[in-house]
Amino acid sequence: MRRLFDVGISAALGIMLLLAWELSTGWWQLSALVLPAPSQIGRSLWQGFATGYWWPHLGQTLLSVLLGLGLGALLGFGAGILLGQSPRLRRWLTPYLVLSQVTPKLALAPLFIVWFGFGTLPTVVMTALICFFPLLENTLGALDQTDERQLELFRALGASHWQTLWRLQLPAGRHQLAAGLRVALVLAWVGAVVSEFISASHGLGAVIIAAQGSMDTALMFAALSLIAALGISSYSLLGALQRRWQ
Amino acid sequence: MAQAGFAYADARPVLQGIDLSVKAGEFHCLLGRSGCGKTSLLKLAAGLLLPASGQVLWRGEPVRGPLREVAFVFQRPTLLDWLSVLDNVLLPVSLSRRVTAADRELALRWLDRLGIAEHAQRRPSQLSGGQQSRVAVARAWMQQPALLCMDEPFAALDALTREELQQDLLAVCAEQGSAVLFVTHDLAEAVYLGDQVSLLDRGRLQERCTISTARPRGTGWRDQSGFHALCVSLRRQLEVTR
Repeated sequence: MRRLFDVGISAALGIMLLLAWELSTGWWQLSALVLPAPSQIGRSLWQGFATGYWWPHLGQTLLSVLLGLGLGALLGFGAGILLGQSPRLRRWLTPYLVLSQVTPKLALAPLFIVWFGFGTLPTVVMTALICFFPLLENTLGALDQTDERQLELFRALGASHWQTLWRLQLPAGRHQLAAGLRVALVLAWVGAVVSEFISASHGLGAVIIAAQGSMDTALMFAALSLIAALGISSYSLLGALQRRWQ
Repeated sequence: MAQAGFAYADARPVLQGIDLSVKAGEFHCLLGRSGCGKTSLLKLAAGLLLPASGQVLWRGEPVRGPLREVAFVFQRPTLLDWLSVLDNVLLPVSLSRRVTAADRELALRWLDRLGIAEHAQRRPSQLSGGQQSRVAVARAWMQQPALLCMDEPFAALDALTREELQQDLLAVCAEQGSAVLFVTHDLAEAVYLGDQVSLLDRGRLQERCTISTARPRGTGWRDQSGFHALCVSLRRQLEVTR
């Protein structure tokens, strides 16, 4: 009951904000080029669905996010486990890993067009690159934070190195791994959309750029709200899956 | 254990010149104040630590690491919270080979013996402290150890629960014929449980006394004068230590 009440308040706040936005665009007679009213954005959104305009773009961005997230998460997880095995290897490679993260990856997008061409591939690579680091960090963190007493228990029971990893360290760190995956998912949407600005003709990022070209600000906002909705639903879905699994 | 010594890196020695032997089936208590090196001594015996000097022998052979025949019960239950109680008990088996139906049955028997069989499918976090300690003890018995090393396993429990667990432990030890090396700072616990009680003070073994009272010792023995006399004499010896 209380939960329902909270959801209701939250929704009412959103509706009030939209209403204020709608009224203020009318009141100050703002040009739709600068700030279109929510009703205009809604119309643009609806038209896109009615004509089937959105579907290929939605599919394209979703594909890039899923492939990029899968690839990046897998590589980050693998690298985390590898570095977790050897403190020396970790000391050798850490400066380069950090270096690769502090350079703005989105600035690499033009280079990726040269390397991987135009379309899905550069976007997936970019997304994977962005998803890599949160998984790497969280995997390393999870391995580091294994309870000393549980490690000693496994030692006393004569467990092998791999048994300790698979049967103790990873299950014990599952919450942190799950958190890493959630962060990666959120970043994946950013990575895919921004990469599509530059290196794609399909996808919601490409729609935003095209809308800017045709000065259709309502369409831009419509694409933005689609991205936001997709981001929120995928995040909630992942959270629900993780809760179920745990 | 012959003239065994141990020191952590860049620190004064924790243990010096320890001579200690535990016979098959013997219940040996190590008594001492906090920080006297009891836990280190126990870990040496279990092969979790290796001696810096002297040697630790198991059936005449030097110990080079944890032994399958030796089970260790830690100060805290140290259960894996993502596994059911049953899977926690089966852990020593599942780490060494595939778990069979017979193993499962044996684990359930241990849980039943310790009075927590109905919790077999629950998670450790749903159990009370005493029940968790019982799970840890059941897990140790799954190894069918010849020597059970216990590091103040009941220290965090209330007095009544602790007495129940002591009773159960003695009964099971008598059944299985396992030797026990039991670390405690509780005088009465040492006297009640032990065939032998060794006093440890600042890394050295000071006294060793034999408690010859016949088993089974019912809880009633705790109220008798013989028990109190033993406690008083041990207490005097313990007071001399620092």
